[in-house]
Amino acid sequence: MSTQVANNSLGRRALQKLLRQKLTVICFVVIIIYLSIALLGALNLLPDFQARVGESYEPPSLSIAKIFGTDIFGRSVLFKLLAGTKTAISIGFLVTSIAVPIGITLGSLAGYYGGKIDGFVVWLFSVIVSVPYLLMVIAISYVLGKGMLSMCIAMGSIGWVGLCRLIRAEFLKHKEREYVLAARLLGANDYNLIFKQILPNVLHLAIITASLQVLGAIKSEVILTYLGVGVQDGSSWGSMISDATGELVNGHWWPLAGVVITMFFIIYALNVVGDALRDALDPKLVD
Amino acid sequence: MSKVLLEAQDLSKHFPIRAGILKREVGRVHAVNHVNFELFEGETLGVVGESGCGKSTLGRTLVRLYEPTTGTIHFDGKDLTQADKFDLKKMRRDIQMIFQDPYASLNPRMSVGKILEEPLALHDIGTPKERQERVQQLLDRVGLPQDAIWRYPHEFSGGQRQRIGIARAIALNPKIIICDEAVSALDVSIQAQVLNLLVELQKELGLTYIFISHDLAVVRYISDRVAVMYLGEIVEMASSEDLYATPRHPYTQALLSALPVPDPTKRGTTKILAGDVPSPSNPPPGCAFHTRCPHKTDACMQDNPALKAFTNSSQHFVACHHAETLNQDN
Repeated sequence: MSTQVANNSLGRRALQKLLRQKLTVICFVVIIIYLSIALLGALNLLPDFQARVGESYEPPSLSIAKIFGTDIFGRSVLFKLLAGTKTAISIGFLVTSIAVPIGITLGSLAGYYGGKIDGFVVWLFSVIVSVPYLLMVIAISYVLGKGMLSMCIAMGSIGWVGLCRLIRAEFLKHKEREYVLAARLLGANDYNLIFKQILPNVLHLAIITASLQVLGAIKSEVILTYLGVGVQDGSSWGSMISDATGELVNGHWWPLAGVVITMFFIIYALNVVGDALRDALDPKLVD
Repeated sequence: MSKVLLEAQDLSKHFPIRAGILKREVGRVHAVNHVNFELFEGETLGVVGESGCGKSTLGRTLVRLYEPTTGTIHFDGKDLTQADKFDLKKMRRDIQMIFQDPYASLNPRMSVGKILEEPLALHDIGTPKERQERVQQLLDRVGLPQDAIWRYPHEFSGGQRQRIGIARAIALNPKIIICDEAVSALDVSIQAQVLNLLVELQKELGLTYIFISHDLAVVRYISDRVAVMYLGEIVEMASSEDLYATPRHPYTQALLSALPVPDPTKRGTTKILAGDVPSPSNPPPGCAFHTRCPHKTDACMQDNPALKAFTNSSQHFVACHHAETLNQDN
């Protein structure tokens, strides 16, 4: 071990490790581009996707607005995709920010305290996962009323299960480790043991899961909107795919191609970064 | 003899075995069974026994990492088994532990400085600056470089990590340290260094050790008195010289005869015991050792012998019905 890295924290070392791989860096950049598009969308700085830019169903050509052609009303497919990006990204982050805190809290409490609390949490997630995911999301979002927010709440209130199981299992493992026993022996209370001792050792799982959760939510949104639940106003990739079924038969392939290409890059990038995070943050693999 | 610092009376730890959907208790693992001993100030009490005999459980029960099933632990005039949260935290300052696995016993996400500051912070000792000084002093004391403060446990070797564990244990100036297989995971040459460090610290800080190990040679080196455990019970307890020179219990005799002797003419005197250790979830009636004892009689199968002083020695305790008759020829 050289002395130069000796002063670095584990987090910085993980970042260095991440940046050593070219592909990961490229994927990082891709994610940042998508995030900036979403941000521009939130600030209303994206071009209006409702505006007509040409004739109905113009095939792709070399002007920016028509690079993916136009749809039935002569609107730019590209501008619709950009607006859809905003929808997808905000759904991804909204769902994750609902699911991750619930997963971490319930997982930690169940794993650490065991007994009745554990019994309740295990019962709760067993009930939730016993219903097929899409059915459950559809059911919850119908109860809450259609729309993007209720869809996000529905996905978030189910999405914590995987992380919760993971965190619970890690807590079960870690709470018997000697470093936790040592801390308890030194007089640490439950709060200290959960938050200062054990949680930092399992938090990398939450980061990895969160990156995959964003991905899962984006894909689910597409499926749900395609099925008619979910985004009702504004543009979304799901509604574009839904429209494309009819268009494809008539030879208008470009709206679908646009959506697939746009989705491909963000999903691929999130996957690669998720994997790289797992490698970089696992303390056993930190050299 | 100096004063008694810690006294365990009738101490037992049984782990329930639960089965079925109702989690009914279907049995118990008798990990530690009715153990009595006294610990004198400034001494080192070795605890030996084979794997699964309850050595570690005994250590962890003494510091109430496990709640004892029966019995009392008296320390400084107080019964630790009755101590509430507040008393327990105060007691934590006096009784500390060094763990077996130097890789698992340090939090991988904390720098060494943080690890050593933790005990001081938990007990609200000193200002941050004073704590920093104390941490440096501790590192110095256990022979680690000062820049270790900023580094993380995985950057150290096993021996160095065990030194960090020792520094953490002495941070609060405890009176008793329980060393649970403290050197078992280390190379032999490193073992010697760490053992010497423990001996030095004992002299300097007036520590009392309970030294738990399966390694007879290590225990002999460091201990003033030795207790031999078998199936959760102490079967023999005596001063280190007495025990190694004239073991009185048939189990201790067999155990010691298995020690390798660096003398080829003495080869082949090992007493090999028949059979295996019975399961602690279903210990045999009577003397726990009778299933493997070459000298067993009917009495051994019915009565569990108590740990009592051997004939005319007040310091050599043995739990065997036939201790006197067996050892006449010795």
